[in-house]
Amino acid sequence: MSFSAILGAWIAAFLTLGIFSYLYRDNPFYKIAEHVFVGISAAYVAAISFWTQIYPNLFGRLFPKDGPLAFTGLEFDFNHEFNILYLFPLLLGVMMLISVFQQFNWMARWGIAYTVAIAAGLKAFGYLNSNVLNQVSASAVDLFSGSLPFFYNETTPYSGDTVFNNIVLVVGTLSALMYFYFSKEQTGNFGRFTRLGIYFLMVSFGASFGFAVMGRISLLVGRFNDLIEYSSSDYNYATFSVLLFIIVTLGIWSFQNPEQKGN
Amino acid sequence: MNFLENIILKLGAVDRRVIFVLIGLAVLVPLLTPISLPVRETPTTVKFYDGIENIPKNSKVLVSFDYGPSTRPEIHPMNVGVLRHMLRNGHQIYISCLWPDGIYMALDALEEISNDEDPDNESSFDIKEYEDYILLGYRPGAEAVIKGLASDLRKVYTVDSKGRFIDEIEMMDGINNLNDFAYIYSGSAGYPGTFEWVKYGGDPTGVPMSSGTTSVQVNEVIPYVQTGQLIGLLAGMPGAAEYEKLINSPGIAIQGMAAQSFAHIVIVLFIIFGNLAFFIKQRRDRKY
Repeated sequence: MSFSAILGAWIAAFLTLGIFSYLYRDNPFYKIAEHVFVGISAAYVAAISFWTQIYPNLFGRLFPKDGPLAFTGLEFDFNHEFNILYLFPLLLGVMMLISVFQQFNWMARWGIAYTVAIAAGLKAFGYLNSNVLNQVSASAVDLFSGSLPFFYNETTPYSGDTVFNNIVLVVGTLSALMYFYFSKEQTGNFGRFTRLGIYFLMVSFGASFGFAVMGRISLLVGRFNDLIEYSSSDYNYATFSVLLFIIVTLGIWSFQNPEQKGN
Repeated sequence: MNFLENIILKLGAVDRRVIFVLIGLAVLVPLLTPISLPVRETPTTVKFYDGIENIPKNSKVLVSFDYGPSTRPEIHPMNVGVLRHMLRNGHQIYISCLWPDGIYMALDALEEISNDEDPDNESSFDIKEYEDYILLGYRPGAEAVIKGLASDLRKVYTVDSKGRFIDEIEMMDGINNLNDFAYIYSGSAGYPGTFEWVKYGGDPTGVPMSSGTTSVQVNEVIPYVQTGQLIGLLAGMPGAAEYEKLINSPGIAIQGMAAQSFAHIVIVLFIIFGNLAFFIKQRRDRKY
């Protein structure tokens, strides 16, 4: 096992157990792990965005090899041709950065306005097509033609296309939608129908909660798998050593900083 | 009866740290002493498997690594399985990443399936870069990147992850946009991921696609399966375990399912105790 792999395991074990230590209470180990995570994440994204996007795709097009701006001494060879339009994103980016100076903070609005407009235009079509039109057309299902079995059978093992499922789909969709119709008082038969919609929504929230729990446990399984691996002699018992260190230090720290009531 | 109620009340008011320890043990013990629990394939996973199985042999497929270390336990086993399945069927794999750390996840997955260390292992392959796969790498921009890939891939990727010019790579011949792929797969842990691939990749181009997602996203993604916008879905770690079983390549997801099941039992028990304690307390408060 290489030194870098062992060092990586010790750091990983320390940061994982540092984060877990929050389950006891907020403490310096948790704070260290949290700050390291935030700092490294921000720096990593900034660096990788620069080297994989701005450097080849922006500078590569503004300052290509033997391009018109070669006289500046800047040349980046990425097989691009000079494209003057790329001055605009550069300008908007610089304007957003300059806004750290208070007297120029109006400059950031141009870049933000451009980004918001592009995002709104881009997302409007995507949502309308994929989340509205496709979903609406998929909820127009076959109920009465008689070509479908009422329940699952051997011919429809998992397609879900049965009369019963289609009835549930139609009733569930309509009742849940009607629950959000506020122009009519939800009383009488209409109230009972919208109440059915609440039940469908509650089933959906319950399923979401179940899946969320399952996801968190999966992540815990992943961390424990790593900790078990790092506890071997190959990694010089990283997990045990770090765990012992954190427990002893937290014990001393707890005696010196007793937990206040209500915390 | 009163004695039982008092026990339930005590369980309902137990310190949260005790619950953390119990859940920790419920996960840890099955991992240390592996217990084999049956894994039953769900319809969405079978549909997913069939979707990949139905891609014409030796096709060009796009696999996107849209996750990072934080969600690796859920998505990584799926992506490793998908790579194995696709290589077994002779497909050429083009790997993109919408998440900055996706590139390292892809490198890990490729190392895992490569048979460098164990040539006799049936679950690994003699894969060669620029012949069997190409790692295009990460590009920031989320949906804008997908939209770019749909119109002109070579504008988004001028160089691959190793800095080689795309135009000079033989494997990239004939690949100009998403329409040149037979299939799109995204292993997604959130934004950007499955939703964006469906909206700006699969739907506009009509290229068949599927996805593996974290459990948290399943409820929102599943309507896409019913409409046919996604061909099946791998839903969290259980989805990965089912898929490992279907491709006959048991891995870390199947191992994790016992821990998953025990932890769920503990959580369900505490939910029951918590609710019972709530109702008992409410009844007693009314009485006095």
